Amino acid sequence: MMVLVPERARTPLILSAIAALVAVLGAVGGPTVQRVAVLALVSIVFVAGLSTFSANSGIMSFGHVAFMALGAYTAAFLTIPAPLKATLFTQLPEPLAFLRDVQSSFVVAVVVGGLVAAVLGLATAPAIARLTGLQSGIATLAILMVVYNVLSSWTSVTRGSSSMIGIPQATTLWAALGFAVAAIAVAWAYHSSRSGLQLRASREDYWSSVASGVAVGRHRATAWVLSAFLCGAAGALYACFVTSFNVSAFFLSATFGFIVMVVLGGYLSLSGAVLGAAVVSVLQEVLRRFQDGQFTGGSALPAGVADLLLAGVLLFVLIKFPLGLMGARELGLRRRRASVKQKEPVEA
Amino acid sequence: MATLSESPSVLSMRDAGVHFDGVKAVDGVSLTVSRGEVLGLIGPNGSGKTTTLNLLSGMLRPTSGAVLLDDRDLSRLSMRRRVREGVVRTYQSGRVFGRLTVFENVEVAGLGVGLRRGAARDMARTTLAQLGLEDVAHLTADSLTAGRIRTTAIARALAAQPRFLLLDEPAAGQNESEAVQLIESIRGFAREHSIGVLLVEHDMSVVMGTCDRLHVLDSGRTVIEGEPQRVRKDPQVIEIYFGKRE
Repeated sequence: MMVLVPERARTPLILSAIAALVAVLGAVGGPTVQRVAVLALVSIVFVAGLSTFSANSGIMSFGHVAFMALGAYTAAFLTIPAPLKATLFTQLPEPLAFLRDVQSSFVVAVVVGGLVAAVLGLATAPAIARLTGLQSGIATLAILMVVYNVLSSWTSVTRGSSSMIGIPQATTLWAALGFAVAAIAVAWAYHSSRSGLQLRASREDYWSSVASGVAVGRHRATAWVLSAFLCGAAGALYACFVTSFNVSAFFLSATFGFIVMVVLGGYLSLSGAVLGAAVVSVLQEVLRRFQDGQFTGGSALPAGVADLLLAGVLLFVLIKFPLGLMGARELGLRRRRASVKQKEPVEA
Repeated sequence: MATLSESPSVLSMRDAGVHFDGVKAVDGVSLTVSRGEVLGLIGPNGSGKTTTLNLLSGMLRPTSGAVLLDDRDLSRLSMRRRVREGVVRTYQSGRVFGRLTVFENVEVAGLGVGLRRGAARDMARTTLAQLGLEDVAHLTADSLTAGRIRTTAIARALAAQPRFLLLDEPAAGQNESEAVQLIESIRGFAREHSIGVLLVEHDMSVVMGTCDRLHVLDSGRTVIEGEPQRVRKDPQVIEIYFGKRE
C-alpha cells in the first residue's frame, strides 16, 4: 500500500499512524491507560516541536519546557471560568487585569498558548542563532531557569507554587490525537522546506553550509520560533487535560523525561522523537507501577526508583546507540547508502 | 540582470597579510584571478596557500592590505556575503553534508544563493549530470568514495553559480592522471561559464599542464608568478620547492 504513497508523504503518515495506534489503545483500555495515552499524545506534540529545532539544527535544547509552561499558563488564563478567576487572581497587576475577563474556546486557547510561547521564542532567537554546541545547550537551560523563576516568583499572576486550578478538561483523547497529527505534519513540512534543508546542511557541516551561502542563523531562528509554538501548544493541551498544575510541572523532571524520549528515539530525526515519546510514555507508566509495587507483590519500592531505571535505560541507549534508535533516519524514507563502498569507474 | 560588462571581472588581493600571535602566515601577497582563467597557487606545506584562500573567501580577514572584486573592497564582507557576490570556495577533503543525499548537497547551494526550490533542483540536476554524478544522486554523501565526495563538493560549489571558484586541493589523494583529468574538467567548466579559478595544489606536476598561470608561495611570501614553463625554470622555485620535496 505504501508504494502508492509518494515518498515525501510517507514519514508523516507512518508517524500519524503510530499516534493513532496510541489513541486506539487508550480508547480500548481503562481510565488509567487512557490517561497515559493522552499524555503520550501531548508528549508527541511536544517532541515534534522540540525536534523541529533539534533534529534539523543538530543542537540539543534543554529549555523547551519553558515554552510548554508559557502555553499552559496562557491556556489556563483563557479557559478558567471568569468567576473563579476573580477569586484566584485578586492581585493581578493593572496591565494584566483584562485576563480576569477573557475567555476563549479550547482550540483558540491552544493556538494562543502556542503564539505566546512563540513570542518568547522570538525574543530569545537572536541568542540561539549565534550559539552552537555546549554554549547553546547552556543558553537553552538558562532560558528554562529564567522562565521557571519568573513563574514561581510572580505569585500575583501565576500563583507561584500554588496550583492553577479549575481549568475545564477539554483535551480529549481524540482532540489530543488531532493535535498530535497536526504537529507531526507541521514538523515534517518544516523538515522538508527550503529552510529545513539548509538548516540540516548546517547541522552536517557548519562551514560548508556557510560556504554554500546558507544563512545559518536565520534558519536556526526560524526553526526555534516554530518549535516554540508547537511546544507552547503542547503546554496548553497539557493544562486542558490535567485541569490543575503548578510550576513544578515545568522544570528539570519534565525536561529530563522529554530528553529521554528524543535521545532514545534519536534526536536528529522526527521519527525518532515521535517513537521515543510513544515508547517512553509506556515505559514511564510501567516503571511507575513497578515502583508502586504492582509487580512486586504490593510492597512499594522507594520513590525515585522509576526515574533511576529510566536513567539506566537512557545510559544504555547512549552507549549502544549514541544517536538513538533512529539515528538521523526517518521512517518510510529510504536514505540509500552505497551498499558496498562505491567503486570508482574503471578507466577504459 | 547584470550584463557581462557590469559583472566583476577580476578578484584580487592587494598587499594582503594576516598574522596569528605575531607569526605572519601570509605577508604582503598580491595576486589576481581573472574570469575564465585558472591560476594555480602552489608552494610547500605551510607556505600560506590555504591561508591565502581563507583570506579570499572571507573565512579570515586580512590584518593588512585588502581583498578586491574589481575595485570593490571585500575585506570586511563575511564568507556568506562573498558567496552571494560570486566568490565560492571548497575545502580540503570535500566536507560534504554527510547524511544528506548527493542531490540535496547540491540543491542546498542553489538555495543558499537565493534560487527558488524548482530552480535549485534544476541547477542540481544539470550540475550533477555535467560532473557524472547522476547515478549516485540519491545516495547519502558519506557513503561515497573519497574521489566522488570531492567531486560532490565541486558540484556543490558550481551550483552556487560562482564567478570565482577557490578550490583547496580538489584532487588530493588521487593519482596524477585522475588529478589531471579532474582539473581539466574544471578548466573546461571555467572556460565555458567564464569562471575564474584559483587552484591550491601542492603537487607541481599536476598544475603544470592545467593552469594558465602559477603563483608560488613560500613562508607566506610570493616567490614568483607567471606562466608554468617560466615558473618551472626559476632557480628559486627549483631550490625551495623541488629541493624541499625530496
